[in-house]
Amino acid sequence: MPGKASNQLSNKKGWKELFKINNGLKMEKERNAFQGIGDKLGISPSGLILIVILGLLSFVIRDEFQIRLLVSTMMFAAMAMAFDLTNGYVNICNFGFCAFWGLGAYTSAILAAKLGISPWIGMLCGAAMAAVLGFCLGLLTIRLGGIFASCMTWFVALAMMAIASNWVDLTGGSAGLNVPNLFQTAENRPYFYVMYGIMVLVLFVSMYITKSNMGLAFKAVGQDIEAASSSGISPNKYKIANLTISCALAGLVGGFYAHYIGTLTPQVMHTSRTVEVMAISFIGGRGTIWGSLVSALIMVPLMEYAKGLMEFRLIIYGAAMILCMIFYPRGIVGILEIVKRLLNNRRKNTKEKVESAV
Amino acid sequence: MTEYGDIIVTAILRGGTYALMALGLSLVFGVMKIANFAHGEFYMLGTFFAFFVFTGLKLSPVLTVIAAALLAFVAGMIIERGIFYPLRLRSKSNWLMNTFLLTLGISIILQNVAKLAWGARYRGITSYFEGSMQVSTINVPHDRIFSFLVACIAIIAMALFLQKTKLGRAIRSVSMDETGASLVGVNLNVIHTLTFGMSCALAALAGACLLSINPAFPTMGVNPLYKSWFVMILVGMGNLWGSIVGGLIVGALETISYFKFGAGWQDVISLIVIIFMLIVKPGGIFARKGVKSAVE
Repeated sequence: MPGKASNQLSNKKGWKELFKINNGLKMEKERNAFQGIGDKLGISPSGLILIVILGLLSFVIRDEFQIRLLVSTMMFAAMAMAFDLTNGYVNICNFGFCAFWGLGAYTSAILAAKLGISPWIGMLCGAAMAAVLGFCLGLLTIRLGGIFASCMTWFVALAMMAIASNWVDLTGGSAGLNVPNLFQTAENRPYFYVMYGIMVLVLFVSMYITKSNMGLAFKAVGQDIEAASSSGISPNKYKIANLTISCALAGLVGGFYAHYIGTLTPQVMHTSRTVEVMAISFIGGRGTIWGSLVSALIMVPLMEYAKGLMEFRLIIYGAAMILCMIFYPRGIVGILEIVKRLLNNRRKNTKEKVESAV
Repeated sequence: MTEYGDIIVTAILRGGTYALMALGLSLVFGVMKIANFAHGEFYMLGTFFAFFVFTGLKLSPVLTVIAAALLAFVAGMIIERGIFYPLRLRSKSNWLMNTFLLTLGISIILQNVAKLAWGARYRGITSYFEGSMQVSTINVPHDRIFSFLVACIAIIAMALFLQKTKLGRAIRSVSMDETGASLVGVNLNVIHTLTFGMSCALAALAGACLLSINPAFPTMGVNPLYKSWFVMILVGMGNLWGSIVGGLIVGALETISYFKFGAGWQDVISLIVIIFMLIVKPGGIFARKGVKSAVE
């Protein structure tokens, strides 16, 4: 556990040592070329297979509705992963997450609609804008922890939403803003590829960061700020860095969303959206980027197909979130780990049996 | 001069309701250390209860409001017994954050239960008391004055209850020191359940009074929730008497920015003030030195 280790090492030099140990452990693992790259990106072979299968689905599925569903699934997956980067690592529950998503969307949309800038550049501008605001949010939350940090992110988000709905000249207010689409076709397939690319990018970026020394520092800050700072990690630096990255990723997805949906209202920044993302991320398991992806792949289609249940599905949603948050914080990843352990045990048992038989 | 008169009247009328909401929120935070995100949902429940009592049973407005508060009191006690009590038995680590997220889930569930039971449509009444009254230069509907009076009476009653009665003192002692209170023979479980019920009743009271102005709707609790949170952050979490003053301050702040900048911008202004507050003085404006604040 990095938190405990950093307790014992009480100076800057100690922290550097810890990094070295971390790197050393990684070096030992690098047995072949694939595992070298895989470890760096944090991708296991089974995970890679999952991503490739997800990509290949676009060739199999012909139904436009299902492609659309997949696009929104991947969008939520990307959002939940970026959310988990903050929530699961530096332990700040970013209540205003979707405001940054909306900020990216509005930046890109306004650039395209008012200035005629290409949506592709707009998306990057949206990400940059969200990163700048995320940096400011990081500065604002420096002194706060726990619930106060959450409140701060929430209030900043509410302020952003209130500005978006009142600055009618720029954003169109609650009447909505018409945004030029990314492609001229009515087909959803091109959007699928773009969203797939963005999702894989978000996944790789978050995995790379969490496996790097920076990720270790994030975890140390999240577990025990005092222990982390006594071993030479600057909590402020890493908190700000984390929020900047996470918000930038949200802004990128937001930019795509604007050009995919075509109209934007300030409702995209609403807290209820954040709660949806939060629920997916929590159900997937905290501090595991993978969990959020798997959880989105399960939850979003499930919710779509359970539409017949009407309000019951949201009640179930809320109940599942409560259960995962309080009683089973490992979430889906925890269940997968149990299954894996059971399989391993069985394999070991059969191996022993075979050996004893011989 | 008349403009200032208008501002003052509107600010006091707005502030009374905010104070009522914030008082309930502070009470629960002070006694149980729960940052209640579902507070707005009890406001919503209050409006629905009031609607059904007023239109169904045809009770008088005063009885309607009391009935709504009592029903919400029972609902709050059931939720406390069913959800927070088992959690308190299980673990105390990271209690503040866990309960915050738990109330978030409760809020989703209550909203959708309301949608399921009563449908996503507005249910309102035209008025409790017809007519309006000329105060300063603006016409104030009688209902506004009624809700302000109810808020005043409820706050005074709460103050007397907490200061003078044995039960009220027990509640305050729990908010000061849980271990100490249980050592001198206060039954913590009863106090917790009662406090949560009372907090819900206060929120429902605020909702029930304003039924003719804000019709009942499943997701209507969001706005009052924000407002009561502003007040709580402004005066410091768990500060009971501060939240009454804070309610009036937020009411005044909103009214002034409404008159000066136009509709819609009042939220932005008060949010900026609150954000500034959190940076400069996270313990709230009434935070004293030496008092341990809840900032981690």
